[in-house]
Amino acid sequence: MAIYKRGYRTYSGPLTRERWRFLVLTRYAWRTIFQSRLLTAFFVFSFFYPLGALLAIYLNGNATILSLLHQSSELLVVGNKFFSVFIAVQGTFAFFIAAFIGPGLVAPDLANGALPLYLGRPFSRADYVLGKMMVLFGLLSFVTWLPGLLLFAAQAGVAGHGWIWDNLWLARAIFLGSLIWILILSLLALALSAWVKWKVAAAALMLGIFFLGAGFGQAINLILRTKQGTLTDIGNLMRVVWHDLFRIERHAFDFPPTEAWIMLILICCGCLALLAKKLRPHEVVR
Amino acid sequence: MTTTQISQALAVFRLEWKKSFFARRGLWIYLLALMPIVLYGGHSIIQIKIGRPCDFGMDTTIFATVFQVFYLRLLVFFGCVGIFMNLFRGEVLDRSLHFYFLAPVRREIVLAGKFAAGLTAAIAVFCTSTIMQFAALYAHFDSSLMREYLFHNNGLAHLGSYVAVTALACLGYGSVFAAAGIRYRNPIIPAAVIVVWEAANGFLPAVLQKFSIIYYLKSLCPLEISPDVPKFLELLVVNPEPMAPFLAVTGVLAMSLLLLLAGSWRLQRTEINYAAE
Amino acid sequence: MTDNASYSRRISFDDVSKFYGDVLGVNRVTLSIPPGITSLVGPNGSGKTTLMNLMTGLIRPTRGSVRVFGISSSDPERFFREVGYCTQFDTFPRGMTGYQFVYSFLRLYGCTALEADELTWRSIERVNLVEAAHRKIAAYSKGMRQRIKLAQATCHGPSVLVLDEPLNGLDPLVRAETIALFKVLAEDGMHVILSSHVLHEVDAISDQVIMLSNGYVVAEGQIRSVRSEIREHPMQIVVRCRKPAEVAAKLFEQEQVVEARVHGDGRGLLVKTRDADSFYRLLNKIALNGVGIEAVAPADDDANSVYEYLIGSEETAR
Repeated sequence: MAIYKRGYRTYSGPLTRERWRFLVLTRYAWRTIFQSRLLTAFFVFSFFYPLGALLAIYLNGNATILSLLHQSSELLVVGNKFFSVFIAVQGTFAFFIAAFIGPGLVAPDLANGALPLYLGRPFSRADYVLGKMMVLFGLLSFVTWLPGLLLFAAQAGVAGHGWIWDNLWLARAIFLGSLIWILILSLLALALSAWVKWKVAAAALMLGIFFLGAGFGQAINLILRTKQGTLTDIGNLMRVVWHDLFRIERHAFDFPPTEAWIMLILICCGCLALLAKKLRPHEVVR
Repeated sequence: MTTTQISQALAVFRLEWKKSFFARRGLWIYLLALMPIVLYGGHSIIQIKIGRPCDFGMDTTIFATVFQVFYLRLLVFFGCVGIFMNLFRGEVLDRSLHFYFLAPVRREIVLAGKFAAGLTAAIAVFCTSTIMQFAALYAHFDSSLMREYLFHNNGLAHLGSYVAVTALACLGYGSVFAAAGIRYRNPIIPAAVIVVWEAANGFLPAVLQKFSIIYYLKSLCPLEISPDVPKFLELLVVNPEPMAPFLAVTGVLAMSLLLLLAGSWRLQRTEINYAAE
Repeated sequence: MTDNASYSRRISFDDVSKFYGDVLGVNRVTLSIPPGITSLVGPNGSGKTTLMNLMTGLIRPTRGSVRVFGISSSDPERFFREVGYCTQFDTFPRGMTGYQFVYSFLRLYGCTALEADELTWRSIERVNLVEAAHRKIAAYSKGMRQRIKLAQATCHGPSVLVLDEPLNGLDPLVRAETIALFKVLAEDGMHVILSSHVLHEVDAISDQVIMLSNGYVVAEGQIRSVRSEIREHPMQIVVRCRKPAEVAAKLFEQEQVVEARVHGDGRGLLVKTRDADSFYRLLNKIALNGVGIEAVAPADDDANSVYEYLIGSEETAR
């Protein structure tokens, strides 16, 4: 049959609902990501600490085992410090996972001119960013607040009646603290990836921002005899925020949590501005 | 080395030095080197504005601390990541490495020429930064005090040591990352591992400590660090068994040579496969 | 030149295989390439570039050995004085002009500044890029980039020139000039090895072809001799004459002739025969009988037909 006689028919099959279309990107990205054996191994490794913590909670609440160990009281106090350490450890794993995956989410699309292919369809820039962010949100949730809440539930089960209502604020701190960290990591990873358009450099930049930021902060503090230098240290900002959420006493050299919150909001705004500038369906070639 | 090989190494150097110094990709390295100068400069300006200089000894100790904790371990380290990993990885990304591989030059000569160009750039940038940091820090002190320190209280010797340590750091980290850039397609993973390894040096068993660059550099730093630094930073730089300078220098040189030999061995087996990037 | 000497001036592949992990690049290739223009022909992914990269040491064989004039690429100082390779990569070192590109790499050969300058201009002149020599390569057109690569590959006067799709992106005029240049180089005794998809050009310029399919060498040698070895496809010969029916009848007396089809204009016929030599002998005899033979020409001993017979059917089957 001649081509001109064939005609074209529009696609009439089922479509993903517009509201959830961004998840298409997420789904495909996850499939690609777990092809890396190194990442899969690291991801599995990141569950060791929660498993250890779960075991500790179980042992701690088991009177028979405690009596076998000749312990009259609990081995450890499962409270705000326990969960703040948990979030700090899992947050470190989350950082490395984000540094490994995040830079590869946007940079290849920009480097290969694939953005017009996405945005030439009924798919907005917000959908694109949301779809890519959900890749990290999903993975990092499994490392941070999901096991955190699981531990909280386990402790509630072990400790018995009343504990859960007295410590419900801890669940909020685990969830909120993780959520903020995930948001910061995701936005930073995507923004850097969009900025340098080279995933290796973006990953280096991600590491650099955290490591150099920490060092730079200490250097400012030493040279200028101040406490504000560590405002450049994102890890430290998060530590201050976590301590605030988990109601842990501040160190003498810490700055007020309000300053940390403001800095984190500024970082998020900066990342969003960078994404808005770089994620465009056209590019001016100089 | 024959005369032809020397002229070939020089030809590689000529091709590479501009890339190392002037590549747009490398602009951030200058910013890294500028960072501490700005901080020290800012400190001096503040002191001049308030009209009284700081305690000279304290500033000297702070310089020693920032130099060891921040400058060597982070700025020179990441600067070398940028310069030296780019030597071969950058060519692979630009898809131009095959031009070297198709010339009648032994690959170890290409490595020598490229490494020399990278090292020249790293030393020029970071040693200049060290000197300028020194100048910026002490800018707010009285000139007679400075003369006294420089010429009668080992000031010049200290400065010389800092510059030499910076140069050795460039050589040491340069060889690490030149070799890693040849071996690994994604250099970030080895860079992350090395940064953790170097940071953990103080906590490692004595035998393993010898397999890091910072171990040798610590022994060459002329002054102790400030007692005011947080405990964890102190742990990073503590050096319970300092080495004799001669041994430390030999250690860095030997490690660099070994790493470059390993890199050269690997380069000889490298194939051009840009599609894998 | 003695046989031994001429053999030592060959490019030899000795049972060479190359695997990229589990993927086959080329398998069990044994070749001995003489001087002249040799074309590598085959569909995409058949192993042409792999063979060229093996020849120039950019990749190493998984098995076997490759030598150019008896020299291995692991001795680059000797090897690359003999070999020039114009790759398929359309990339160049950043920020260079055409002149700097050729000149800088000549300095790597150990040339002095003066020698390098002289050789650079000579090779740039050869590819007609003198006016654009001091412009940045990034601003060159596709054809100019192809030519500056060619200049760089030939600037040191190699004895073996390997060219991966060298005619890509060239306009017809430059194409013709470039083909002429290859011919001159080959006449001077150089080995010119090129890959191409344009089969009529392969026909026009090649002294011999190497046909590849799925990583295997399916044929090598001169087109005509390759064609004569393809038994399953009888040779097709066009005969223009006044009495085609009479000629056809006489030809059918020979059992090698499997088909004779008279042209629509009644002035010729297409004959298919399994033995071209005996066919030509018989035709000579027939010609003496006054059938008015005007022209005789083979219809399918070109690269296109050979490619179709050897590779086309395989490709269709895949």
